[in-house]
Amino acid sequence: MQSSMDVETVSSQTQNEPGPLPPKPLFEPLKAHEMSDGRVQFRKVNVPPHRYSPLKKVWMDIYTPIFEQMKIDIRMNLKARRVELKTRADTPDISNLQKCADFVHAFMLGFDVIDAIALLRLDELYVESFEIKDVKTLRGEHLSRAIGRLSGKGGKTKFAIENATKTRIVIADTKIHILGSFANIKIARDSLCSLILGSPAGKVYSKLRAVTARLAERF
Amino acid sequence: MATKSEASLNLDLDLLHRLKSTEPPVWLAPRAELSETARKASKIIFSYLRTYAPKSPLDQLLIEGFDAEQIWQQIDLQSQPLLSSLKREVKKFEKKPEEIGKIREVLEGEKKVVESVGKVLEGERRVLAEESDDFDEDLDDGLDDDDEEEEEEEGSEGEEEKKGKGGAEGGIEDEFLKINELQEYLEEDEAREYGLKKDSNDSRKKGGRRVLDNEEDEDEDEEDEDEEELGVFGDSDDNEEEDEHRQKLENAGYEDFFGSKRKKAPKKNLKSIEELEEDSGLDDEEDEDEAVETKKNDNLSTHEKQSEQLRAEIEKMEKANLDPKTWTMQGEVTAAQRPKNSALEVDLDFQHNVRPAPVITEEFTASLEEMIKKRIIEGQFDDVEKAASLPSKAPRELKELDENKSKKGLAEVYEEEYVQKTNPAAAPLTFSDEQKKEASMLFKKLCLKLDALSHFHFTPKPVIEDMSIQANVPALAMEEIAPVAVSDAAMLAPEEVFAGRGDVKEEAELTKAERKRRRATEATKRMTAKKARDNTLLNDNDGDYLIFS
Repeated sequence: MQSSMDVETVSSQTQNEPGPLPPKPLFEPLKAHEMSDGRVQFRKVNVPPHRYSPLKKVWMDIYTPIFEQMKIDIRMNLKARRVELKTRADTPDISNLQKCADFVHAFMLGFDVIDAIALLRLDELYVESFEIKDVKTLRGEHLSRAIGRLSGKGGKTKFAIENATKTRIVIADTKIHILGSFANIKIARDSLCSLILGSPAGKVYSKLRAVTARLAERF
Repeated sequence: MATKSEASLNLDLDLLHRLKSTEPPVWLAPRAELSETARKASKIIFSYLRTYAPKSPLDQLLIEGFDAEQIWQQIDLQSQPLLSSLKREVKKFEKKPEEIGKIREVLEGEKKVVESVGKVLEGERRVLAEESDDFDEDLDDGLDDDDEEEEEEEGSEGEEEKKGKGGAEGGIEDEFLKINELQEYLEEDEAREYGLKKDSNDSRKKGGRRVLDNEEDEDEDEEDEDEEELGVFGDSDDNEEEDEHRQKLENAGYEDFFGSKRKKAPKKNLKSIEELEEDSGLDDEEDEDEAVETKKNDNLSTHEKQSEQLRAEIEKMEKANLDPKTWTMQGEVTAAQRPKNSALEVDLDFQHNVRPAPVITEEFTASLEEMIKKRIIEGQFDDVEKAASLPSKAPRELKELDENKSKKGLAEVYEEEYVQKTNPAAAPLTFSDEQKKEASMLFKKLCLKLDALSHFHFTPKPVIEDMSIQANVPALAMEEIAPVAVSDAAMLAPEEVFAGRGDVKEEAELTKAERKRRRATEATKRMTAKKARDNTLLNDNDGDYLIFS
């Protein structure tokens, strides 16, 4: 017993002295490149045929911000009609790749570059897509009339919704895509759905005004 | 006879014993011998009973060639009336147990007892005979019973008649006065006094019978019977005679309907008197008519006529009381309970809950028009004036929906929003701000003009430092707004207006000397100018001298 006690005292003695602790390890955030075990990440975005020539026209507008600011490699695979994105060594954030992919995808859906660029700049923007048949089953003339109601004369209804809710809307035949923040998407979607279901544009306008006024008041 | 009867009796008993002794299961299957035995036995029993049912149409039960149903019918034919008469007898004996003994004595054949019984029975028979009018139901029974009882009482009746005719026993009685009839009359009178209906029914029945005798109308009779029955049932059961009457009711026979001819003549006068004097609560018009006829025949006194009228009145009133009331007296009556359109004929009185519509007369319209004219002249109208709504709060800015394609991209939109949120001052003017600016400028101009007109609040035009062409307009127009006086003080200074000597004279104004002087000055000017020219010319032409003098 005495010997154990002795041992303890000896150990305590050694502990009492403030010995040099190992330094706290500093982990720097992983670079995009190093993530996933240092492998390169890809994204591939298909180009639909009707967006092929518009893509050719605005290619530089797409390429420049992606390559310069987001630091993502981008190239067009002509044979496969695809846009391919790849992380670089100096890509700061892995989410850049996804953002770029979303940006390109938004362009493919039909949005303008200046609108789609917002995806790169703002985090909380989303794209929502739905079809007219999700809202109401319409056939033939009714469908055409619904699409006409959505756009309005010269697109004015669509622009009115866009301006009021700070979103961008693309109506591609029966598919509808909305780009914007979450709440604004909801408002725009409600307006579009009511238009599909048949309410006149004036009614939608008044509702829009009320909602947007309320939204503006909040801030 | 005795041996025969004894032998037959033994035979019968034997048959019955045989029937009785057979086991019950034997009866299940039809057997010829059993049936034969049964038939014979029933025939024997039938013959026994025949003596007690003298009115039955069958002398003996016919069994040869008849089937069970027919035999049964024959038995039924005999036994039904028999049974009812037996029941009645039993009831009678229930009430009067002493009679059983008497009946026995009768059966034993003592005439004296029969006489005494006969007297009692006389009354019964009389009543029976009287009441025998009634009866729809068991005519057969009645007939049978009547026959039975009449059989029994024939003897006594015969005695009575003998009495009546010979006047042997009474001595008092003769052709006109009969004690029995007197008794009846007295009873009826008493009954009438005390209001017993049954007596009236009795007498009425008697009378009815007599009437029938006279008229021979069966329907009447049945009516009488019905009413008498009602009367009978309505009365109290105090009197023993009541039951007898009821029994007699059930024993209606031919005599009761059509009456036996022997009693017709002597009782006729009595009957008429009775009819006259009875208090007829009768609904039988025939009877009353009869009564009326008889009255007319008798030449009533005025008092009697009056009393008759009174009676008729009373009767009418009583009848009205008994009838159900008219619908107007019935309290709450729905449309279904009263005859059609009956409410129109009656003058109804009820409260109207609504004010009656005003009657439009000429005066009414004239008064209205007067009022209208007066109001128009005064200008006092009752128009509803809209109350001005107080502005509770400032109206919200209505955001105009821009229907054009936005020139800014989405990113720029959000950028602006962000900048506005973080740094409101540095935010570029929004579309609405520019419009506001323009609007405020326009308004200021307008206010300036209006103020100038009103002259109250004068504010000078704001000094805007900018290069502008100054027109030579009267200064007052610029500085003083109100054109109080017209001044010709020009903006420009005089030397600015005209720079020159003041001797401006026209050709016409010049004097001769001045004209000469002007010409001279002009000439000298010309000379000097020419000399200057020549000099230069001469100087130029150094090479060649061409002297032209």
